[in-house]
Amino acid sequence: MSQRDRGRRTFLRALLGGAAAAPFAGALGHRPALAAGPSGRAKRLIVFYFPDGVAGRSQDGEGSLWEARSEGGGIRLSEQLQPLAGIEDRCVFVNGMSMGRADEGSHPGGAKKLLTNKDGGFGMSVDQFLASTVGGGSPFRHLYLGAMATLNGASGDKFVSYPSAGVTAAPEDDPRRAFGRLFEGGVTVRPGDGPDPEAEAARRRTRSVLDASLADLNALRARLGTLEKSKLDLHLESLREVERRIAGVEMPPPAEAPSCDDPTLAYDVPEEQRFEPGMFPAILRAQTDLMVTAMACGLTQVGVLQGSHHTSELIMSRFMGAEMYDPGFDMRSHQASHYGARHDRSNRLFVDFLAQRRWWVSQFRYLLEELEARPEGDGTMLDHSLVLFCTEVSDGNTHSHQDMPFILAGGGGGCVSGGRVLETGGRRHGDLLAAICTAMGEPVGGWGDGSGEVLPGLLS
Amino acid sequence: MAEGLRLSRIGALVAPWIVACAGGGSPAGPGLPPGSEGPESWDGAAVYAEQCASCHGDAGEGGLGPAVYSWADGRDALVANIDETMPYVDPSECRTGGCAEAVADYVLGLDGVVLCDDPPLPARRLRLLTRREYAATVRDLLAPLGGMRETGPDPCTDGTTFTYDAGGRSLGSVHVAGSFNGWDPAAWPMRAEGGVWTLTRVVPEGRHEYKLVLDGGEWITDPANPETAPDGFGGANSVLEVACAGGGEPGGAVAIADLTRAMPVETRPEAFPFDNAADPAVVTSVHAQEYLSAAKRVADAVGARVVELVPCEGDDAGCAEQFVRTFGRRAFRRPLTDEERARYGALATGEASRAEGWQVALHGLLASPHFLYRSEVGEAHEGAFRLTGWEMAAALSYGLLGTTPGDALLDAAAAGELDDAEGVGRWVDRLLANEGAREQLGVFARQWLGVEGLGELTRGLDPALRADLVEETERFVAEVAFGGGRFRDLLTADWTVANDRVAAHYGLEGPGDWGRVTLPEERRAGVLGHASLHVRYAHSDQSSPIQRGTFLRRRLLCQDFPPPPPEAGGVPDVDPTATTRERFRQHTENPRCYSCHQYIDDLGFGFERFDQDGRYRDVENGQPIDPSGVLRDVEGFGTDTEAPFASLPELGARLAESEAAPDCFARQVWRFAHGALESDACMVRELEERFRASEGDIGALLREVYASERFRLRQTPGAGETGESE
Repeated sequence: MSQRDRGRRTFLRALLGGAAAAPFAGALGHRPALAAGPSGRAKRLIVFYFPDGVAGRSQDGEGSLWEARSEGGGIRLSEQLQPLAGIEDRCVFVNGMSMGRADEGSHPGGAKKLLTNKDGGFGMSVDQFLASTVGGGSPFRHLYLGAMATLNGASGDKFVSYPSAGVTAAPEDDPRRAFGRLFEGGVTVRPGDGPDPEAEAARRRTRSVLDASLADLNALRARLGTLEKSKLDLHLESLREVERRIAGVEMPPPAEAPSCDDPTLAYDVPEEQRFEPGMFPAILRAQTDLMVTAMACGLTQVGVLQGSHHTSELIMSRFMGAEMYDPGFDMRSHQASHYGARHDRSNRLFVDFLAQRRWWVSQFRYLLEELEARPEGDGTMLDHSLVLFCTEVSDGNTHSHQDMPFILAGGGGGCVSGGRVLETGGRRHGDLLAAICTAMGEPVGGWGDGSGEVLPGLLS
Repeated sequence: MAEGLRLSRIGALVAPWIVACAGGGSPAGPGLPPGSEGPESWDGAAVYAEQCASCHGDAGEGGLGPAVYSWADGRDALVANIDETMPYVDPSECRTGGCAEAVADYVLGLDGVVLCDDPPLPARRLRLLTRREYAATVRDLLAPLGGMRETGPDPCTDGTTFTYDAGGRSLGSVHVAGSFNGWDPAAWPMRAEGGVWTLTRVVPEGRHEYKLVLDGGEWITDPANPETAPDGFGGANSVLEVACAGGGEPGGAVAIADLTRAMPVETRPEAFPFDNAADPAVVTSVHAQEYLSAAKRVADAVGARVVELVPCEGDDAGCAEQFVRTFGRRAFRRPLTDEERARYGALATGEASRAEGWQVALHGLLASPHFLYRSEVGEAHEGAFRLTGWEMAAALSYGLLGTTPGDALLDAAAAGELDDAEGVGRWVDRLLANEGAREQLGVFARQWLGVEGLGELTRGLDPALRADLVEETERFVAEVAFGGGRFRDLLTADWTVANDRVAAHYGLEGPGDWGRVTLPEERRAGVLGHASLHVRYAHSDQSSPIQRGTFLRRRLLCQDFPPPPPEAGGVPDVDPTATTRERFRQHTENPRCYSCHQYIDDLGFGFERFDQDGRYRDVENGQPIDPSGVLRDVEGFGTDTEAPFASLPELGARLAESEAAPDCFARQVWRFAHGALESDACMVRELEERFRASEGDIGALLREVYASERFRLRQTPGAGETGESE
């Protein structure tokens, strides 16, 4: 039985029990699935995180091997960026951003600051802010998918998304679970389908249970006042989101969004192999597909894809077919990142590190291509999206937080034009995060520490 | 004073590489006598806000860094400490000559400066159930139904077993090849035992066809499987239909472990090894959906038997009221308020039948925030807050048994037995005598030592052995604690608790099922000799002295390290002619590396006779292994002690003799109990001292942590703030 059949059979189980029948699908078509956002504004944000930095400015001071350069009206990609050849015009290569000084020399410090721009992660991350503003009305405010990001009791400092100051969320690492949650958990009525008394009754019961939870929660908030306020506020927001999904909205006719009517998950990694490094590419691919599908179907507008986690023990030499594939040698991400003081091409660590980084860039390209392949409004999904490619340090060996490697891709609904290198001259990366908020229709004057303005030259 | 010393140790701990990083870190400008500029030219508050607050908190309460307000060594020591070690990133930014003095004066003038004679109290909190606690709670709430299965065979998680009886035929290999593995004749090897070949693999849900491949070339239909389909070549494929066990089939059993499988993993703050950190445990929308769906699955699985949860003879309305009152008290761990009774009573009576109504009420109670959070909010009491009897019942039960309080404990709370220290003490003793207390201590042990994730590592070791190695550690720690042992036994015991599989891994005669076995001499170091640790702190192809050394410092001595400096290299390549110790020699030869690695590497070398699988070895690549070393500054950096050891058992003994190791253990037990890091070393000081005075009596430590009056006192974060409006 395919995953698709299973989805059909079990789609209401998660929230409503096993008895549900045909006229429902997942929480899909919440809104006209492929409608364009308002012009000049990005409709969605996807953050693509990868671990352990890049081959940047070396410890001995050799120049960065990462940065793209403007050259003769075009762009010269570095060797690590080669996988983006041909789609440079979809990307802004943001050079020279600084994450500030404190926590310098630290992977965890960088991961905490990456989307919060606050030392120690003591601030909300920009994705969570946008989830609760722009994404506040979506069936899923926020979608956080990981690939082997929660291995080995990973401590919270390995996650990049912060719902509130100092509090991280954990990504969902299992594509099957994520699929189930997205496409099997909600209720949506398709016009023309007759009422189903059993499913209606199940929905009514779930509704009363939610009402009771909400009443309990509000009584608790009133009783505790300011105590644990942010915790309970988040809980409330979460219940409201589930409430919206249960309320359900009419499905569009299937022709408009076939993949949303009956989504499938192309993923066949056996459960027992979910932690095997060789399976990582398949897992990341499935999560990327899910992210794109969820966005295409209007389920969410803000998502984070987290590949592994900082100081990654991921054995990338086991990725079959990849440039650095070597079944005879275990080369880990973090291990390769400490390639030494110099860019030494006779050093295996360095050569592998370059190949690993190219691999991450190629995965980013895959995401962009999937978005580009789907028409939306007057263009493609990518035209209406912002996609941020980022990691927690610049050079993997020096752990520097200067010259951070950021790429912002997508048209942002017309407010970002790609095919450019943007030299930022050491500005705080909060300015870039602020620009992303602004492009999403939530103008802010800065984001986090040492950021006082929207990054000039990025938005048009 | 001791407290000042402790904090200065923390400062010194950070110092070595900072100094290295700052290129030698010369003190204040040469020739510039201290005070020549004078503190008055510096704004201590401004410097503090800019340079210190991000780690030490706006009010000095601590955060990333330690609290500063318990500084008791006096101004001079504080000035010197700031001069030498702060700010963390670059001590040269705040030297004597004004800056350090101004900041010291500011710090000493901060509100809330307290000494250890009045340590701060933990914060009032709501603690979200961990997945582990959630599963145990549901299990216990459903116990009146005669127990639900905790987990059951589910082919989608437990796998499908293929069996082939070769019937005396001698075969070199048997493989399973089918639609689930691309018909690869070499991908899924079966394993032979006594002429019977077996393989257990997770096969995705759905219909599959397959064959068995004998000796790499002979494709046969599985004789053990009567279901076949034509293979298109005139033969037959075996057919396998895999259906996942449904969680929500009405009337079916619910697999408790499955309920929490899709809930997000807990996040753990740095330096906090446990899954129950209260502050970062929040309900995201993923949680909310999973809680709702898990509660629904429980209600569905219980089905019509829900009425057996609270036997009742009366009319529907009266019985609904009784169900909500009785089961509600179990679920919320306190009596329901009138408002809540009305709310859930309406659910219980809102359906066509009594059973359906109760199912909806059950669904609701298990989705409520009052079920999902356990309250440690307390009531106002002499300037602080004190946990109520009901809150104590939950705190004791979850802390000591990992699950919800039973009716007897709740009755005790109702009767006021938990209102005073004496009553609490009696209940602590009673709970400690429960078998569940051993299991819970095992949970503590595997998280404290970091070995819980062993199943996720993919190394050569058999997964069943990996699971047993973790269980060995859990059982051993519990046996020491409840079998009359002392803390030192955790690091020095010459025995362990093993089963045959673990014993065989150690090259020992097995005791059959789990039991005590005496260890060979080289492994006589308590948990340090456990393969679970050796496997966990290693690479797949080599041991890791660095991981093992930092493990000892962090988990056993509570001494944290700054991250490696930017120029740190990677792990040296495996060299077929050298020992691991030789490969890491650069750490001692390079003074910059040495400044930190003198505290790490030797400890790791102490484990070198155990490889990445925890197997004993005395030579590596033909070279004899040297497991000797020096334990430096065991009580904290800058304490200038050196304790040589010749072997792992000697290293264990040196640690067991220290003050830092038992202090750290007491601290970890306290952290586990409170679901939080101490915000201040003073918080745990008395506990550490008493634990040492008891000569490491772990049972007494547990009693002290949970039964002391102090355990139940809380304060609201932020001075003078009272959110309570009751």
